[in-house]
Amino acid sequence: MKNSLLIAIREWKERVGSRSFLLFSVFGPLVVLALVYLLFVFGGESKQHWNVLIADPSGVLKDRILSADDKNISYSFADGYIETDEFRDAKKYQRFDALLEINGQILYTKVSHVFYRGKPSTQIEKSVQYHVERRLEEVMVDRFTEFSIEDYRKIKQPLNLGFRDVYDPEGLESDLEGWVGYFYGIIIFVFVFLFGMTILRSVSREKSNRIVEVLLASVSPNQLMLGKIIGVGLSALVQFLIWAIVIGAGLFFMRETLFPDMLNAANLNVQDLAIEASNQSYSENYFAAREYNEFVELVYNRVRFSVILPFFLLFFVGGYFFYGALFASVGATMGSESDGQQFVLPIIFMLCLALYSGYHVLYYPESPLASFLHYLPFTSPVVVMVKLAQGYEPGYGYQIYMSLLVLFISAFAMLAIASRLYKNGILQFGHRVRIKHIFKWLRKT
Amino acid sequence: MLEVRNISKSFYRAEALHDVSLTVNKGEIFGLLGPNGAGKTTLIRVINRIVEPDHGSVRFDGDLMTDADLGRIGYLPEERGLYRSMTVEAHAIFLGRLRGLSKKDVRAKIDYWFDRFQINDWRKKRIEELSKGMAQKVQFICTVLHEPKLLILDEPFSGFDPLNVELIKQELIQMRAAGKTVILSTHNMKSVEEICDRVALIHEARKVAEDKISNLQAERKMGLYAVRFRGNMIAFVNALWTGFELIDKDILSEDRFVARVKMRGESSFEDLLKVLIGQVQIEAAWEVMPSMQDVFIDIVQPVEK
Repeated sequence: MKNSLLIAIREWKERVGSRSFLLFSVFGPLVVLALVYLLFVFGGESKQHWNVLIADPSGVLKDRILSADDKNISYSFADGYIETDEFRDAKKYQRFDALLEINGQILYTKVSHVFYRGKPSTQIEKSVQYHVERRLEEVMVDRFTEFSIEDYRKIKQPLNLGFRDVYDPEGLESDLEGWVGYFYGIIIFVFVFLFGMTILRSVSREKSNRIVEVLLASVSPNQLMLGKIIGVGLSALVQFLIWAIVIGAGLFFMRETLFPDMLNAANLNVQDLAIEASNQSYSENYFAAREYNEFVELVYNRVRFSVILPFFLLFFVGGYFFYGALFASVGATMGSESDGQQFVLPIIFMLCLALYSGYHVLYYPESPLASFLHYLPFTSPVVVMVKLAQGYEPGYGYQIYMSLLVLFISAFAMLAIASRLYKNGILQFGHRVRIKHIFKWLRKT
Repeated sequence: MLEVRNISKSFYRAEALHDVSLTVNKGEIFGLLGPNGAGKTTLIRVINRIVEPDHGSVRFDGDLMTDADLGRIGYLPEERGLYRSMTVEAHAIFLGRLRGLSKKDVRAKIDYWFDRFQINDWRKKRIEELSKGMAQKVQFICTVLHEPKLLILDEPFSGFDPLNVELIKQELIQMRAAGKTVILSTHNMKSVEEICDRVALIHEARKVAEDKISNLQAERKMGLYAVRFRGNMIAFVNALWTGFELIDKDILSEDRFVARVKMRGESSFEDLLKVLIGQVQIEAAWEVMPSMQDVFIDIVQPVEK
């Protein structure tokens, strides 16, 4: 193990000391920050003014919601019941952005739905909920109590108002959080591919400049391979850490300096709103916030970094060892640096499959294939990131640990297989790699 | 010191070593000779535990060799490389540490060897800045840094100019004097003659000879004598009768020559001296032993025939 450590340290120093590492460390996160900045600046052009149609056949809220309450929302009433399909397709309803269903039972169930055409900003959602809730309170106090409205608000419970896509009322389609998870998965695979190729190049370079025989006189092939994978992996982690620090600092800087208004508004949540509902000046300030950007809110409020980052690291390590062993064995079996590139193709194919699997899970998170891909070591790092960002059903969080276990067991198995290929291939020079060689080396102990 | 017993090794259908046994004694320089592709490098890799033999064993200091013994071996392979982006010093530290030296010891050894080879100025140079000869020196130092008991050098002189070949030879001779053992695989027969005590010759995966150099030469002497004389070359030739044959001559000056003469039939060295005395002024005369090159060709060619 000591020898593996020495090799790992040498690899680490070589990588970290290289110019490409420095460039990738500096410019990589800056490019990401620039993209985030562009999304912040140009991504907030979601619809500012909403026309909401209220279907209230029992007349619970009739004439109670006034458009003057909020400049960003106009409410209209429909007398009868409107089917969601009808609202979605009928020409006369196309000028409305959302349909709010109020049935006669709402006063008892406190459940209602808003069917939207394009996902509203959180601020719009909060405004609608705020308006409906306040009007319902007034109705309830009128009909059922002797309380004043102020007394009632002291003892009330929050309304459960579910927002649903009119084109996807079951909520099967992905959401932005899922895309953030997918982004994390892509980052894992970009790092795995880049540093996997680094391992491959490093192994084939050692073969071609013949240092490998000098090393093998002191260390076993397994120690050499493991040291190399660990060393390159550590440099990847350092790179990732630099990325995290630079991007984190950049986001903090943007939050404090470039977009403070947007962020102040987006920082509020529904609970705060309910608690402070009686405070008129507060709600006025809240709805006075004109600027809103979904990406800003996504990055600063909706992505649970504290949950995602630890699993990101664990799945990165597992995925890196799994693919790193593959890259190392391909490097060892190559007769020359140019030869053997053909064997990189299957690995690239697996990486592409992993990226596609993340995309699939975004859209079909509950499909049987998604469950399979969730445990498949080739794909699990991306799939779990997506699922993690979307959120697991309560009680199903153990699936992450199961997937992690499968990944690490597979990585160890892959290391064992790769060590055979490495051991038998590393001293073969100038040959053309053939499949039959690979199988022979795999059979040899 | 090192016993190789009945080693066989095949790669797929090609037999690289067939039942090879040899013994290397402590404190000797042992030459491992053979044509290209004979199996020398495979044998060296087996000794270094880089390649596992199909049959046979290697004993080190009387015991079956283990990975732990590798720390007592210094191996300089024929196909040797260095990490081009590392500095000379960092490279030496890395390899020294891999061979079991502590941080402190490795620095002390580096100071000693860099001084000895007068390469202190190279410490911070990157390997890629070095010439081939300079890199060879660094490789040699990295091989001996951990003071191995057994040194295995595969073609150590390739890439060196004559001055550096001499430097390495002298180092090897000093190591032998210090009780170290050296296995030297080379095609440089002159060096073999000069520094090796015993040699083994591998040909087509088999060991075909193992003996002291003097014995191998004596077995192949061809009745050839050299005479250095002053006088007339024509008189020298006239003096030779049918029992002798002039093979060649070196002209040292107008009236000084070295002539090589082969005995024929029952003729002896004494007979040669008798016929020459009075005809030319003999300064010296000696028996010409075959060179290691001749021995090598003599052993290898009949096998090929």
